[in-house]
Amino acid sequence: MTEQGVPLKVIEIAEGIKTMRIRGAGRIARAAAEALKIAALEYGGVKEVSPFKKYVGKVADLLIATRPTAVSLPNAVMYVLASLHRANPRTFEDAVNAVVFSAEKFINESINAVKIIAETAAKRIRENSTILTHCHSSVAISAIIEAYKLGRLVKVYSTETRPIFQGRITAKQLLENGVPVVQIPDSAVRYVMHEVDHVIIGADTVASNGAVVNKIGTSQVALAAKEARVRVYVVAETYKFSPTTLIGEPVPIEFRDPAEIVPESWLRNHPRVKVLNPSFDVTPPEHIDAIITEIGVIPPQAAILVLMERLGWALDKIKQGGFAKIKFEDFTE
Amino acid sequence: MYNKALVLTLSSVRSLEKELIRHGFRTRYTGSELVFATLEALKEYSLSSDEKNFAKRLLATYERIVSERPASAGVLNILRTVIESFLRSGSQTIPSVIMDLKSSYEKALWTVADVACKRVSNGDVLMTNSNSLAVRRFFARLKEENIEVEVYVPESRPGLEGLLLAEYLERLGFSVNLIVDSAMRYFMKNVDKVFMGTEAVAANGAVVSKAGSSLMALAAKEARVRVYVLASLLKFSFESVYGEMIKLPEGGWELLMDAETRNTLPENYFARAPIYDVTPPDYIDAIATEYGIFSPQAIPILLREIYGSYPPSIIPLPKLVKQLEEAYRL
Repeated sequence: MTEQGVPLKVIEIAEGIKTMRIRGAGRIARAAAEALKIAALEYGGVKEVSPFKKYVGKVADLLIATRPTAVSLPNAVMYVLASLHRANPRTFEDAVNAVVFSAEKFINESINAVKIIAETAAKRIRENSTILTHCHSSVAISAIIEAYKLGRLVKVYSTETRPIFQGRITAKQLLENGVPVVQIPDSAVRYVMHEVDHVIIGADTVASNGAVVNKIGTSQVALAAKEARVRVYVVAETYKFSPTTLIGEPVPIEFRDPAEIVPESWLRNHPRVKVLNPSFDVTPPEHIDAIITEIGVIPPQAAILVLMERLGWALDKIKQGGFAKIKFEDFTE
Repeated sequence: MYNKALVLTLSSVRSLEKELIRHGFRTRYTGSELVFATLEALKEYSLSSDEKNFAKRLLATYERIVSERPASAGVLNILRTVIESFLRSGSQTIPSVIMDLKSSYEKALWTVADVACKRVSNGDVLMTNSNSLAVRRFFARLKEENIEVEVYVPESRPGLEGLLLAEYLERLGFSVNLIVDSAMRYFMKNVDKVFMGTEAVAANGAVVSKAGSSLMALAAKEARVRVYVLASLLKFSFESVYGEMIKLPEGGWELLMDAETRNTLPENYFARAPIYDVTPPDYIDAIATEYGIFSPQAIPILLREIYGSYPPSIIPLPKLVKQLEEAYRL
């Protein structure tokens, strides 16, 4: 127990998220929910509803501060806090139970989400289909494998995905599952698009207007698909929907190390060439046919619905100030 | 001959870096470089061999081009001229025919550059892929005319020739941004005009160019950015007028990585690497030729003006090759 009354295990998890020991949108989200559960169970203050709520709010702030730009993290935290708020507990025990129950529910749902999404997506794949996917998304891979098991796939085109070649991981994982894969350079996306029936891609973040932030090149794939009248499905767990975009906060696009694209020696030999390495791009909602989540298939423009359903009460708080300004500690009373 | 490091080497070609090769960097003759290299080789053959041997060399060259670079309209067209001249007047006049072809093509490239330059305003932001010779001439001319531009260069897989173009533009003193091919749409909103080279222009105005060009043109169209193609009429595919499809060569994993990297991937790993793609005429605002700027759909009108009729009365290459075989019993 630290002096603020936050259990050490919770601090450990927060540190793990901060130092990127805990990585991946799903893992981060589940770790945060787990931390709130531990915090509730090991609460050592006055056993009354009001101080307990204040304490949970403080833990929430602490967790969110570890990665201000992450999406899944605040969503997990808000999921639990929104449940606590809705439960409107009369007794201390009810309050603890509300936190523990919703944290566990979030964790289970998150683990099941990939399975549900894969099954839902596979239903949308027609017989004898050719699929194109970009980058490496574990949800997209699960969906493709599921469709393959149903006997609906003929072929998968997987893009190399420069600069890091995540497409090679995709190709490898699909081949291990017996799925026939053809790897293509990113430049060949339009060249093969006329053979493709569906594009299935993951998402890093879904904005409130339904725009999808994902690995650089995704928006180009979607554009080529739209031109060829090929359907584009985004598979994404609901915790990837970004609440802050609702108040106009842009999703920050990170420019990564140029040495990912060309070797250091090339950079040294060409000091006046600027090597620009944006890691994400934004696919507009009109280039996406549907977003497939664990709560169902939605048109991208209805992304706001997911945010309202899942986050409800907390959304109002976000509208008031964004993460930088709001203190959950004050709002849980 | 057609895949080795070439005449127009740049510093990075000489010191090819292992890391780059690991990622599929390789030098390849651009369409125009192939024209010059083929002409040079034929000239030497004509000086060193008798008629029959030269006929053999011509045939071998033709077969090699058809199997390795079937989309290279420029080379196919010069082969047509050389074979025609050889059938008409033997190998005596070949060196001078070749000299003429070389100088007129060199001149055409510069005229194309002049024409295209007029479409660029000082301060424009351009995007161009691959490492076409026509594109390099165009930038050299821009420099001479003191037109300052900023250029986005996609790395242009397979082959990564974008790195060579970036290097060339850096030496000319332009401000250059090198990006991955996937980032073309991301940066298109910053771009004013797109310029691209050509492997072949088809009868309907479609343009065969480096893989990824059609994607770049599509992204440009979406962003209402103008697309210009640089093409001497030597790149016009006369065969396509008669319905012949332009064959697009493809490679496999060997164009994307080295053997060592391939060994880290599963045995049944399979890759397709198209070298060219086709940009439909409706994505092209204009083609800059040595005769001026035309809409892609108007190229037949231009050809009619030049050749006096349309389709131009040319002898199809396969027919000429057959004549060659018969005349020299090959």
